Amino acid sequence: MESEDEFDMHDAAAESAEDDFYSGGEEDGFDSDDADVADYEFIDNDSDDSDDLISHRHQQNYTILSEGDIRQRQDDDIMRIATVLSISKVAASILLRYYNWSVSKVHDEWFVDEEKVRRAVGLLEEPAVPFPDGREMTCGICFESYPSERLRAAVCGHPFCNSCWAGFLISSTAINDGPGCLMLRCPDPSCNAAVGQDMIYALTSEEDGDKYSRYFIRSYIEDNRKTKWCPAPGCDYAVDFIVGSGSYDVICRCAFSFCWNCTEEAHRPVDCGTVAKWILKNSAESENMNWILANSKPCPKCKRPIEKNQGCMHITCTPPCKFEFCWLCLGAWSDHGERTGGFYACNRYETAKQEGVYDEAEKRREMAKNSLERYTHYYERWATNQASRQKALADLQQMQNVHLEKLSDTQCQPESQLKFILEAWLQIVECRRVLKWTYSYGYYLPEYEHAKRMFFEYLQGEAESGLERLHQCAEKELQIYLNAEGPSKDFNEFRTKLAGLTSVTRNYFENLVRALENGLSDVDSHGTCSRMASSKSLGGGSSRARAGRGKGSTSRSSGPSRNIDDPGHWSCEHCTFANIKPATICAMCQQRR
Amino acid sequence: MTSSSAPSRKALSKIASNRLQKELAEWQLNPPSGFKHKVTDNLQRWVIEVNGAAGTLYANETYQLQVDFPEHYPMEAPQVIFVPPAPLHPHIYSNGHICLDILYDSWSPAMTVSSICISILSMLSSSTVKQRPADNDRYVKNCRSGRSPKETRWWFHDDKQACIAFTFQIASGDRVWASESSHLFHSYRGRV
Repeated sequence: MESEDEFDMHDAAAESAEDDFYSGGEEDGFDSDDADVADYEFIDNDSDDSDDLISHRHQQNYTILSEGDIRQRQDDDIMRIATVLSISKVAASILLRYYNWSVSKVHDEWFVDEEKVRRAVGLLEEPAVPFPDGREMTCGICFESYPSERLRAAVCGHPFCNSCWAGFLISSTAINDGPGCLMLRCPDPSCNAAVGQDMIYALTSEEDGDKYSRYFIRSYIEDNRKTKWCPAPGCDYAVDFIVGSGSYDVICRCAFSFCWNCTEEAHRPVDCGTVAKWILKNSAESENMNWILANSKPCPKCKRPIEKNQGCMHITCTPPCKFEFCWLCLGAWSDHGERTGGFYACNRYETAKQEGVYDEAEKRREMAKNSLERYTHYYERWATNQASRQKALADLQQMQNVHLEKLSDTQCQPESQLKFILEAWLQIVECRRVLKWTYSYGYYLPEYEHAKRMFFEYLQGEAESGLERLHQCAEKELQIYLNAEGPSKDFNEFRTKLAGLTSVTRNYFENLVRALENGLSDVDSHGTCSRMASSKSLGGGSSRARAGRGKGSTSRSSGPSRNIDDPGHWSCEHCTFANIKPATICAMCQQRR
Repeated sequence: MTSSSAPSRKALSKIASNRLQKELAEWQLNPPSGFKHKVTDNLQRWVIEVNGAAGTLYANETYQLQVDFPEHYPMEAPQVIFVPPAPLHPHIYSNGHICLDILYDSWSPAMTVSSICISILSMLSSSTVKQRPADNDRYVKNCRSGRSPKETRWWFHDDKQACIAFTFQIASGDRVWASESSHLFHSYRGRV
């Protein structure tokens, strides 16, 4: 299987990569045609990885529904049931509502035992009491007598006058009580006949009718297992999702991307349970955390956070620690004195800051040993990436609304030819999101998984620097062309570079997501890096495959497991380093074999 | 939190007072057996005397029910409580509040004072033990400021330790109902 993958990868790459990557002119070549060709090959070969990828990228397993679409579908379902069961549309909608809008469930239940279904749902076949025409009768609510034309009854025949019906339908047990009004029964206490929407619309005001119809449409989404509303504030779209078909990520037409399973924002590669844990942790800790970050520093010795509430830089930690240190440089106070600029200033700090040597983040990482510090480490980065993502979103908007037109003018390019810039920004936004969640992933990755942590941090670091490259190019390098007076000669080169970076980064992040979703299982198995390499290359046809191969081959050649079939070596189960046979202790991580 | 023991002091609507007059007339013609309406000139608050049915735990005991009608009766349920001392019953609190679903969630405007009375009597008659609900003290303490039972969120479930509500399948003619528990059909209503 390994070798097959390799083989196909070469094929796919060889086929289209070269011209695609270097031509640079047809930006749509990246995604559509060539990618499809490649996909068919992947279906043929038996790799589950590539199957996943296809369902994720190319077969959308959900549909976005506008209010019009929802009504249309609801009507279609009702019509289908009404036709198949030969019942009225009103009865069909009562039935569907009762079975949570599952057409197949209605069919199943109905054809197994129609009588039972009718009883449960309240669809009587004939009236419980006769409703004779032309006679005076007493309304069962106000007890007044009326001629029969001023009375109404549900299918059961229990008569109530029009105004009592109206009062009943809008009372606090019905429309004013919320969605419960969709399952109204006849007011007679002994009767469970269903009250259909025909009665509602005939007997209530337009306003109440509208309310009812909102509940009716909401029910179609909320009670149906296959549909959910988009959770973005103010968004009215719903999503119809085919369960059991790959990724849960959904991108609504309002551009919000969320996880269909837990309706939190999209969070691959982290699973829903971890996200819930992380969000809970943040809500419990974030306020504390923010305060601590803003107002305190950890004691360099015992790591307890210390708030400075007096002017002097000379801090003495509380017992039992009693460590004396400098607030500014966090160095021991014993090193301070006249030589370092007096007791109230710290020259070491000032000089270091000027020289840029002083790296607070580095120091923090060093200290991230107790749990609070550890959490801070991940939370800070999670939050920073979140903020960067918001910023990138705003930049994308700005690009779309302002700069693109201007750029199109100066560079004499139609806007359709500048799409690659928006794609780059979209990719940045997406990458920030993934990167953000890798910090939550890292937080929950157990400390004892030494090899996995090392591998994870390597992947994360690569991802981060790759994204920086892309971000730099989309932000800074573009600036030159934005400010240019007229068309720049090297604009096409820039296009090639940015589009290339976009696809390389996309490919890298897709593979990162999948590697993390697999629980970094590659680390356990033999073939560590070659698996990773081949899955990278499979990242989706053409240029992506080519770019992937580049990355893949580097990690292969430097990967410790390249000689794994070599009988003269053993692979360390902690860090995967290939050691020579006679050694009993891993040369890389010093762990015993 | 603010209401007094009488629920809403808003006068009855025209529909409500018409309907109550009719109910009262019907009551005077055909009072449910075991009940006596104490005549007052207040149509909005009825005080009704209940006699425990023969052959039940409450035989030869007399209690008083107080029924207060809201402005929009019968679209809204009346407030029904026992005037203390209330009967010792697993669904009746010592402050007179009654845990019976038709008085709250399952109220229907086609029910009447008379049908409520019959439900309450069957609830009494079917009891096998004279005791207060398990959470009586806590609940009564919570209601000290004069909270109406209609503000309570009642849980009608069949958990043995907690309040259980009965749903009665009332046949069309009220008079079918005998006061003997053996005739009563009741079922537990489970509600989560």
